[in-house]
Amino acid sequence: MKRVLEGSHAVAEAVRLAKVQVISAYPITPQTHIVEILSEYCTKGMMKAKFLRVESEHSCMAALIGAQSTGVRTFTATSGQGLALMHELLHWAAGARLPIVMAEVNRALAPGWNIWVDQTDSLAQRDTGWIQMYCEDGQEVLDSTLQAFRLAEVVNLPVMIVLDAFYLSHTYEPVEVPSQEEVDQFLPPFEPKFRLDTAHPCGFGPLVAPGDYMEMRYHIAMAMEEALDRFDEIEAAFAAQFNRRYGPVEAIDCEDADIVFITTGTVTSTCRLVLQDLRAKGEKVGILKLKLLRPFPTEQIREKLRSVKKVAVVDRNFSFGASGIFAQEVRAALCNMPVHPTVFGFVAGIGGRDVTPELLEMIYWQTKTSDVPQKESVWMGLREVKNVD
Amino acid sequence: MNEAKNPNPLFMPITYLTTESNKTGSWRFLHPQYDEKTSPCSVACPAGEDIARIEMLASQGLFKEAWETILRENPFPSVCGRVCFHPCEGQCNRRELDMAVAIHSLERFLADTAIRYGIKPVLEKRPSQKQRIAVIGAGPAGLSAAWFLSMLGYACHVFEASAEAGGVLRWGIPLYRLPLNALLHDIQQVEAQGVTIYTGKPVSPDVLEIMKKDYDAVFIGCGHGRGMSMNVPGEDLKEVSEGLDFLRKLREGETPPCQGVSAIIGGGNTAIDVARSVVRLGGKALLLYRRRRQDMPALELEVEMALEEGVKLQELVAPAAVARDEDQVVLTLQEMKIAGDEGGRARVAPDEGKTRKVRIDRIFKAIGAQADEPRHQPPAGDEGLLSLSHTVLVRGNQGPVMVFGGDLTNETKSVVHAVASGKEAAMALDTLFREGFEAIVPKLEACRVGEGPSLSMEIYMGGQRRLRNPHVVRYEEINTDYFGFIPRVIQPRLLKEERVQSFEEIDLKISANLAMKESERCFNCGLCNQCDNCFIYCPDTSVMRDKDHQGRHINYDYCKGCGLCVVECPRNAMSLREEES
Amino acid sequence: MLTEIMDREFVYSGHVGCPGCGATIAMRFVLKALGEKTIMVLPACCWSVITGPYPLSALKIPVIHAAFETGGATASGVRAALDMMGDTETTVLTWAGDGGTFDIGFQALSGAVERNENFLYVCYDNEAYMNTGIQRSSSTPYGAWTTTTTGQDWKRLRKKNIVEVLVAHRIPYVATASIAFPDDLLRKTQKARETKGSKFIHIYASCPTGWRIPSEMSVKIARMAVQTNIFPLYEVEDGRKYTINYKPKEYLVREYFKLQGRFKHLTDQDLDQIQQMVNEDWELLLHKAGDRS
Repeated sequence: MKRVLEGSHAVAEAVRLAKVQVISAYPITPQTHIVEILSEYCTKGMMKAKFLRVESEHSCMAALIGAQSTGVRTFTATSGQGLALMHELLHWAAGARLPIVMAEVNRALAPGWNIWVDQTDSLAQRDTGWIQMYCEDGQEVLDSTLQAFRLAEVVNLPVMIVLDAFYLSHTYEPVEVPSQEEVDQFLPPFEPKFRLDTAHPCGFGPLVAPGDYMEMRYHIAMAMEEALDRFDEIEAAFAAQFNRRYGPVEAIDCEDADIVFITTGTVTSTCRLVLQDLRAKGEKVGILKLKLLRPFPTEQIREKLRSVKKVAVVDRNFSFGASGIFAQEVRAALCNMPVHPTVFGFVAGIGGRDVTPELLEMIYWQTKTSDVPQKESVWMGLREVKNVD
Repeated sequence: MNEAKNPNPLFMPITYLTTESNKTGSWRFLHPQYDEKTSPCSVACPAGEDIARIEMLASQGLFKEAWETILRENPFPSVCGRVCFHPCEGQCNRRELDMAVAIHSLERFLADTAIRYGIKPVLEKRPSQKQRIAVIGAGPAGLSAAWFLSMLGYACHVFEASAEAGGVLRWGIPLYRLPLNALLHDIQQVEAQGVTIYTGKPVSPDVLEIMKKDYDAVFIGCGHGRGMSMNVPGEDLKEVSEGLDFLRKLREGETPPCQGVSAIIGGGNTAIDVARSVVRLGGKALLLYRRRRQDMPALELEVEMALEEGVKLQELVAPAAVARDEDQVVLTLQEMKIAGDEGGRARVAPDEGKTRKVRIDRIFKAIGAQADEPRHQPPAGDEGLLSLSHTVLVRGNQGPVMVFGGDLTNETKSVVHAVASGKEAAMALDTLFREGFEAIVPKLEACRVGEGPSLSMEIYMGGQRRLRNPHVVRYEEINTDYFGFIPRVIQPRLLKEERVQSFEEIDLKISANLAMKESERCFNCGLCNQCDNCFIYCPDTSVMRDKDHQGRHINYDYCKGCGLCVVECPRNAMSLREEES
Repeated sequence: MLTEIMDREFVYSGHVGCPGCGATIAMRFVLKALGEKTIMVLPACCWSVITGPYPLSALKIPVIHAAFETGGATASGVRAALDMMGDTETTVLTWAGDGGTFDIGFQALSGAVERNENFLYVCYDNEAYMNTGIQRSSSTPYGAWTTTTTGQDWKRLRKKNIVEVLVAHRIPYVATASIAFPDDLLRKTQKARETKGSKFIHIYASCPTGWRIPSEMSVKIARMAVQTNIFPLYEVEDGRKYTINYKPKEYLVREYFKLQGRFKHLTDQDLDQIQQMVNEDWELLLHKAGDRS
């Protein structure tokens, strides 16, 4: 059924349909709309789930680790500072091989306080062992959340559904909401491979000596690799049932393109408009939308960019002392190709600033007119700031 | 690691084996062990009774077993529970916390309970031996010798001159202290063990010679029945008689005249017995003692009760002369003065020139006794003679070995010493028959309770008690955190007004409930009462339960030697030593 | 003694607790009282190590190791999941040290009990960060040496009164217990098990290694802590009803301090001051229990 939903509500609908059993959350703007509605669903009995109103994001993730280890499906949502506070336990959840699903609304990190979109919070969790999916619109949020449970439970790794603050979380769009029967068919009840069970007592997460620890980490690495294949299968199944498919990357007009934008999140939608304008002007341009950060779809990226001359990576994040983080990832993915496109890195929209079509066009022309990048990252749309002596 | 046993499809940090593969015993440098030790009461008991164990069994309501544990070392619990001077209580470690355990009352309770329910003891008995043994005198020494010899498998015949068995117990102790039934029960117990007692059979020198042909050994325990002389003028007057003879008449059923004032000379139990009997017969008793009250060998409680009952006491006076004056006698008393100290008692000497006279109706001597006939004494010299702590063995060139025991050889003349003597004789004879003369002393040494003077038949017969460490537990070695203040049971007694009316037994029986409570007060020094503290507190789950008598053992595969079990053992039944490398 | 309860065992031999470890004794007691229908949440503490390295476990019940500060929160999740699965019988037990309770885990604990989560939180208190090498915690008592309060810089601050903090949350049941009083400890644990909502038991668990005491003295010291009123045994129901379980006779704290190397630097004057502090605390407790008006 088509409904007009906020991105936040699209998440909540998916969580309801996934029959999550334990939800734990701590409020933080702009995640609140997700958990408020879930809390209401639990209270009203629209969901048969326990909602834990914990006293911090750290405790929130700890509670989910406890619940998921006991053998139920779990969910939480957070944002910015909250995600940063969870950091230790993100490692824990992955190391414990727990298929927890979390919605993460990208928010800039303080100081100063800034509640608007910025990807540095989720990208700072890149190495925690979580699968990360960056979504573009409300439909993708809903669909990805449903797929996330299935993927997490197959490979025993946690999944983070990432959505832009306000531009996606608080924006109403028409979203096709599947029926419960349809979802039940796609997503069977959670069957844990291990759980805390008094009939079969085990110790979860004990001291592990160097003789075993490295192999355990290697197994996580293998599971992450496997996740790419599994994601493909799950998307195929989802497409067969719902006729929607996103892919780990989406290539738009890349076949004949000389220059390709690489985008994530809602910037992709803006870029789609810019693409139309530029194509109308005869520019050979395309877009490669990245959905998966982890596992990183290196092969797919190489494949799609095989004949491209230049790529312009738009990063709404920054790794101080280096460059935009997606640009780094893309460079790393391409560098071992014998012939590969030149990577132009652009930083834009930090802390919720608009990434306008004009800005994206400027990026295009700058890329087209330069043989090599001026710098590893070019900060776009900076105001002039006077230094005070 | 054994991945084959890993039930988890994922290789991740989930356990699937127990830590039992980790033998932490290798950490240990101290070695705790069960090490039962010796209680001071059992060392103090001349019969070497296993008191700590007796009280433990009693506290668990195992009255029969407790009683049998007494019988292993002493055939006279009913008697000793009444008349023993209980040196055990004097050494009780509990005195330092509050008061000694009422071991004496508990012994009597156990014996009375056995009598009341007609319980038959089940005791270890060796198979029959070929040697036959004659015992002369059915007093406590002779009967004890027969009891223990019979336990060791020997046929024993006891020859008693009097019409009934019991010796001084039968004829020398008033009924209010030792009722007839209480005595008869113990004697019947001895007979039930297989001992034959022939009463009315005095053994003359001729009879003894015949006996020597029939028996492999003769135990002589005729006791000290003849009074000592005061060596003062007028001693031969008919108004002057032996206290023991007076008591005997009473026990034979006579009622000797007691009107007026009777003077009793002496400070021992016989003197007190006579004085108190006189009071019960309606007379007045005047107790005359050459030292002070606190120097009296009589039990303090007996003296106290005697005075309560109206007996008068004059201290520091010695008889100097006796003369008749019409129908009364005048006793001249030499006043005494303290002239020093001998073994805690005052040494006295005549206070020259100070005498006084008392007018009385008769005099009872109770100043000690000796053997009836010189031949009852062991011969002098040391040819073929073996003097042990409570007996003397005489081995001639031919004929059976003669053993002198009881009062004849004991320094302290008491029932429990007589028991000790009979036990020593039995052990000595058995060792002699089995291993020869030279083995006797070392064998007896090995059966000492806590390396003290007392002997244990259970140790001799190879019972569990032989495994105990002879170390005598001191108060500081008890973990008194486990023992709060609990008042000692008060022995119920007849009121003094009731006491003087008759010869009814004064001490009343305590209830089973009180007896159990009292026995729980016992520290059970050095013994395991299965309190389980070692099991409870072991941090390493290394104390294992067993079904054997000990009930548990330490699993040294895992024990890290922390020593907690040893410290938390309330009663010092464990010990810690350095691990052998 | 509750014999059949004392007879069951949920701690395997072969664990790697130090000789004389009080925390291990406490663990044995608590699990005996709770029984096999128990899931343990084990935030970082000595017991994280004692239970053994992968793939071994010294515990016969399911255990989830948890991050240091998450004892209360992880348990909330386990409980929520059990409730969702219809299992209300199984006890969720958080087993944490003093660091994980008084300090780093304090927020999660406070949060969980404020929500009145149906679980039992046991803090076994050995009065410092023992696992990491005897560093001071807010549970370290006044006067103690630790590796971060050395020399004349010994801890000159009071121990945090965690029990009163929990009482202030008005949860159904808060109790103190000691390894030296097994009957009391077992009873309280069973009572906690039968009480719905949040329960907190603070167990005094001596540490021979960290306190510089001989291993065989650990129960004795624990007993003395109670006898001297340094660690009174009491319980509080619904944040209001105080019951003092053990009222010692006059007993001087000096004896307790003298036996422990961690206090050896204290002067007679220091000990007098500590005696005063202990007396003060005891009076306060008596007031709360209604034994003083």
